[in-house]
Amino acid sequence: MNLFERLQKLDRRWIFLVVAVAIILPLIFPFNSKTYTTDPTEKLYRLIDSYAPGPHEKAIEKDKAVLMVFTHDASTMPELFPMEVAILRHCFERKIKVFTMTFIPSAAPIMDYAINTVKEEFPEIKSGEHYVNFGYKIGALALPIVLGMGEDIAEAVDIDAEGRKVSSLPIMKNVKNYNEMNLIMDFSGSSAGGMWITYARSKYGANVGVGVTAVMAADEYPYLQTGQITGMLAGLKGAAEYEKLVDVFASNPDPAKREFSRELLKDPKWDDAITNQNIQYKFKQARIGMNAQSVAHIMIIVFILIGNIGYFITKYKQKQQG
Amino acid sequence: MKRTLPLAIVIILGFLFVGYVFVPHKISQDFYDWYMEWMKAMSPFGVILGIMSITMTHTARIQHKVPNWQYSIVTLIAMIFTAYAGFQWGTQEGTPYMWLFKNVQMPMGATMFSLLAFYIASASYKAFRARSAEATVLLLAAIIVMLGQVPIGVSMFGEGINDITQWILNVPNLASKRGIALGVGLGMVATSLRILLGIERTYLGGGE
Amino acid sequence: MFEIVSNWVAAFLTLCIFSFLYKDNPFYRFAEYLFVGVTAGYTIPLTWEQAFIPYVYRPLFLQHKFVLLIPAIIGILYIFTFNRKLNWLSRFPIAFGMGIVGMGVPLSMHASVLVQMHGAMIPIENINTLLVFIGTVTILLYFYFSKAHTGTYGKVVKIGIWYMMIGFGASFGYTVMARISLLIGRIQFLVADVLHIIK
Repeated sequence: MNLFERLQKLDRRWIFLVVAVAIILPLIFPFNSKTYTTDPTEKLYRLIDSYAPGPHEKAIEKDKAVLMVFTHDASTMPELFPMEVAILRHCFERKIKVFTMTFIPSAAPIMDYAINTVKEEFPEIKSGEHYVNFGYKIGALALPIVLGMGEDIAEAVDIDAEGRKVSSLPIMKNVKNYNEMNLIMDFSGSSAGGMWITYARSKYGANVGVGVTAVMAADEYPYLQTGQITGMLAGLKGAAEYEKLVDVFASNPDPAKREFSRELLKDPKWDDAITNQNIQYKFKQARIGMNAQSVAHIMIIVFILIGNIGYFITKYKQKQQG
Repeated sequence: MKRTLPLAIVIILGFLFVGYVFVPHKISQDFYDWYMEWMKAMSPFGVILGIMSITMTHTARIQHKVPNWQYSIVTLIAMIFTAYAGFQWGTQEGTPYMWLFKNVQMPMGATMFSLLAFYIASASYKAFRARSAEATVLLLAAIIVMLGQVPIGVSMFGEGINDITQWILNVPNLASKRGIALGVGLGMVATSLRILLGIERTYLGGGE
Repeated sequence: MFEIVSNWVAAFLTLCIFSFLYKDNPFYRFAEYLFVGVTAGYTIPLTWEQAFIPYVYRPLFLQHKFVLLIPAIIGILYIFTFNRKLNWLSRFPIAFGMGIVGMGVPLSMHASVLVQMHGAMIPIENINTLLVFIGTVTILLYFYFSKAHTGTYGKVVKIGIWYMMIGFGASFGYTVMARISLLIGRIQFLVADVLHIIK
């Protein structure tokens, strides 16, 4: 049996070992790599950033808000959690009003974990004033709540995760329905934004953005093109792109440089985030993961090439013998 | 009667909902509020079905001593203990119930899914063959997209690979997904209409 | 200390699941059955607190809206699914839930079909929009199975197949990325949170 025939018959456990090593090594030995941002992510970032109060505006008086809907469980956390953290960090940095909710019981602790992870760095951010966690609402109520928020959010949601009446919270001062809570970000491992596009956008004109696992990303492009989805974060790469945008703009120490600008984005000083000890691990998790992703992709491509080369050589030899 | 009455309920409610979408009168809003209130009252009982199914399956496995029946005891004890922990000590952060969720359910759920990475690597090596022109195009598109998504790909092939990837996603991929989405959308509308008109009855199950 | 122990429990169970990659073994089976049990047990108190108490118990017993006894009884009929003689009773709660499909017809027609059609009817200003138009039309023609895909029609439909192959290739590329990301997440947990090799 020649080399290629032996390679064709290789025990798959060797392949599993190579995969494991290919992922562990880049995580243990991190290296800097440039993150290229794409249009769907930039659109989303700019829309959310437009909700920030101006320099002379009080955050509590601002009437625009973002709703983050966690429609996934722990199995898709590696892709979706970093983007949720990045968006929360963006909102807390720029004092953008943000609401969170879920219709899946297993997403409720993930929501709490995301908020607590980011809130640790922002002691001035107060629940009820800058953000509200609406908590878990039973799945059967998803549609009534989606439709009800088009008329009156406080009435549709009623109480938040801490048991408070939503109508009594200071954050609701200038926020009544989708006219104010104008962007819905749905983080999902399946049917991304479906219900929100069909009901909230069609009936009330709310903007819908999605944070999806990479599996679903390719399917969302028609909705991006029609404008049904305003922006999209696609998997770990989308999370890495958003993390970079938040680093470059929203949490830029120079307040004059917090507006989006392509020149600033191209500055190579932002490419050393992974080894930069000033950026916390939790705010660069996706970018670190992308290193391992890079190595893994090259590995898969090499597997495909070796497998196909071996296949064609074996086929050629069989043809010659036959 | 056993099939006719549920069918009639679906048809009548279905048409009332079509009316709700097009009629902005207070009556249709009242109907919607009534329906939602009743749905909220009905919904918790669906969970009983799942719990009963698991309990019956694993109890039968223990009774009939099927191979690996001992593990069914683990399932039943875990289910009972988790539910008991939730009722006894509450479901808030810091309780045994949340500890079980965060340190048992969440890690295992995530790990189950992550096994797929190994299988996809194995499949890439053993099964993905360019046996035909179409398969070759599929593999080439996949390779370009994989390279375009990661920083190493851009470092090796320049920013052009990023542009090619975006072109693939915005043009042929978009056309492909749109065509499929239109087909699926029409199929969904057709199926919903069939349910609405009582032609589709599989949701009623078998039997008389 | 408690957090360290918790992380090690999670890491142990993670490795039990990973052990399946070598071969099926008692550790994997134990973890698998434990997972099913905990997941099932998790939903019970949550449903009780978040659904039963606010939408059944409170309205019925505290607010005295006794009319809600009717949907509660209809909901209980779900349990008859397992009884051969009486499983026809379980059709009633299912039928009540299915009623909302009437709303789905016009709304999904709008969102899934009309808006997509509108999006496809863009002015053909450049080569890309022309390619998108050709692709969309040929794929829709491919899905029309009432006509045999032969002759000129077959050749036109073949273009749709090429488009779909590129689309599926892009989906495959993304799927690889997704699956690898999930594994990266678990490895990050083991390497960062448990072993503290990266901070």
